[in-house]
Amino acid sequence: MLEFLRLCFHITRRNWTVYRKDLIANISPTIADPALVLVSLGLGLGAFVAQIDGMTYMQFLAPGLTVATSLFTSFFETSYGFYVRMSFENVFKAMLTTPIGSREIIIGELFWVGLKGAVMAVGVAIVLAVCGLMVNPWLIPALATVGFLVAVPCGAMGLLATAQVRNINQFQTVYSFIIAPLYFLSGIFFPIEQMSAPIRFIAELFPLINGVRLAQALFWSRGIAEAFLVQGGILILQCTVFSAIAYKRVQKKLIT
Amino acid sequence: MVKAQSLTKSFGSFNAVDGIDLEIRKGECFALLGPNGAGKSTFINMIYGTARRTSGDLKVFGYDPTSQSREIKKRLGVVTQDNALDESLTVLENMEIYCAFIGLPKEKRKKRIEELLEYMNLSHKKEARIQALSGGMKRRLVFVRALLGNPELLILDEPTTGLDPAIRHLLWGKVRELHQAGTTIVLTTHYMHEAEVLCDRLVILNQGKIVAEGSPTQMIAEHTPGYVGIFNAKERETILNAIKNRNDSHLHEDVSGVYLRTSKLTDLTAMHSELGLQPLQIRPSNLEDVFLKLTGKELSIDA
Repeated sequence: MLEFLRLCFHITRRNWTVYRKDLIANISPTIADPALVLVSLGLGLGAFVAQIDGMTYMQFLAPGLTVATSLFTSFFETSYGFYVRMSFENVFKAMLTTPIGSREIIIGELFWVGLKGAVMAVGVAIVLAVCGLMVNPWLIPALATVGFLVAVPCGAMGLLATAQVRNINQFQTVYSFIIAPLYFLSGIFFPIEQMSAPIRFIAELFPLINGVRLAQALFWSRGIAEAFLVQGGILILQCTVFSAIAYKRVQKKLIT
Repeated sequence: MVKAQSLTKSFGSFNAVDGIDLEIRKGECFALLGPNGAGKSTFINMIYGTARRTSGDLKVFGYDPTSQSREIKKRLGVVTQDNALDESLTVLENMEIYCAFIGLPKEKRKKRIEELLEYMNLSHKKEARIQALSGGMKRRLVFVRALLGNPELLILDEPTTGLDPAIRHLLWGKVRELHQAGTTIVLTTHYMHEAEVLCDRLVILNQGKIVAEGSPTQMIAEHTPGYVGIFNAKERETILNAIKNRNDSHLHEDVSGVYLRTSKLTDLTAMHSELGLQPLQIRPSNLEDVFLKLTGKELSIDA
């Protein structure tokens, strides 16, 4: 067990070593995207939106954008990123000649996206809190947990896509027809309660929606304990189930 | 060290490895020779558990690679077919990551890496990014990576494919030294000469099956004894006529010429003295001839 954790940790660390070589390029989208949405939608569209739940539109958007960062950073890492490491750079072929096995690779990668999701969520939250969009900025560290719990199951979805696609271009289909629609239906931009029941049912299966609710509780300081209990519980369950399914599928790509 | 019995690996209905029996002994240099797609790499992958056998039995150091691959991988090093180095990282960074993977204690890493870089003449490149290395340097670095853990068993999966002769000879020298120092070596290659130069024993694989087994000299003596003369392709008819009543002569032809193999050297020189045919080359028979014969590419004269 100790050996297993040690090897997982070294895979995470290897990814960090490579990631930090191109740090500016790698973190640009995670910083720029939420800023762009916040300015264009929050300020632009927000001028035409009456208050939601007694908040300005900017205040309403802030928590969702924070966890959406965790979704994107993790999904892209385990889809495009993992696929490139597996099929073009052959990184795993070399790793598998060491005591590392497929289990360590997959858990190590998921732990890596979890950490990345946590750090990104905290980073975005700090900026938003500075802009005065968070009621109690002391709750920022708690967003690391939310970022982690969103990034792991979303990362597992990326791995599932990796197991499924026949070439790297097919990720675009997964993104356009699954990830992007669910992003818009996760209660970031409007309360999901106004959508019809079938749409809500599908959206509820996506981990992001519970992450958004949890982040909203933290940003708005409303029902935090309850949100951690309910949404946190669902997210932990999704982490486990999604990771287990992804492991089963991707493992076949690594060990023939 | 490695023992395979009726070992089979199928992908769907295709048998990449088809009922192989072989044993690799401690301290020997063993080659798996065969054309592309013969099953060499699949066999290698089964040794360290990245391919799982479909049936039969396989033991490495007495362990089963399907369930105990970690124990096996602690004791072997692999020169992978693809370099699989992290291109954006430096030589040192790449090697440090691998030291961590194999669990080499931190205080020993630096010394071990520097020793091996020195051994492979790469010390001057330790701060260079992989992107900036030549193909030959990358290959040498993959050797360094494979040797970091001081492996008992060193697997070389097509170690010199695509390299220039100078680098190839340098690597052969290193492999010999490691072999003499007691490391067991398993080599896959489609260069017959490489296997002949380096190995004590080899098998020739074709379509997943072993078609011959033995030492290079044994195999030559058994399957293609004698000498080979290479003649211009337009002299085919003359040669065919001259040897039609002899059963110790074999002919094989391809675009580069007509290959005539005879048991006695004088039979070849007679082609020149009696028929006036000028051979392009005369040489002792080698593994390439064995290979061509056993994989069915050589035409027997009576065929």
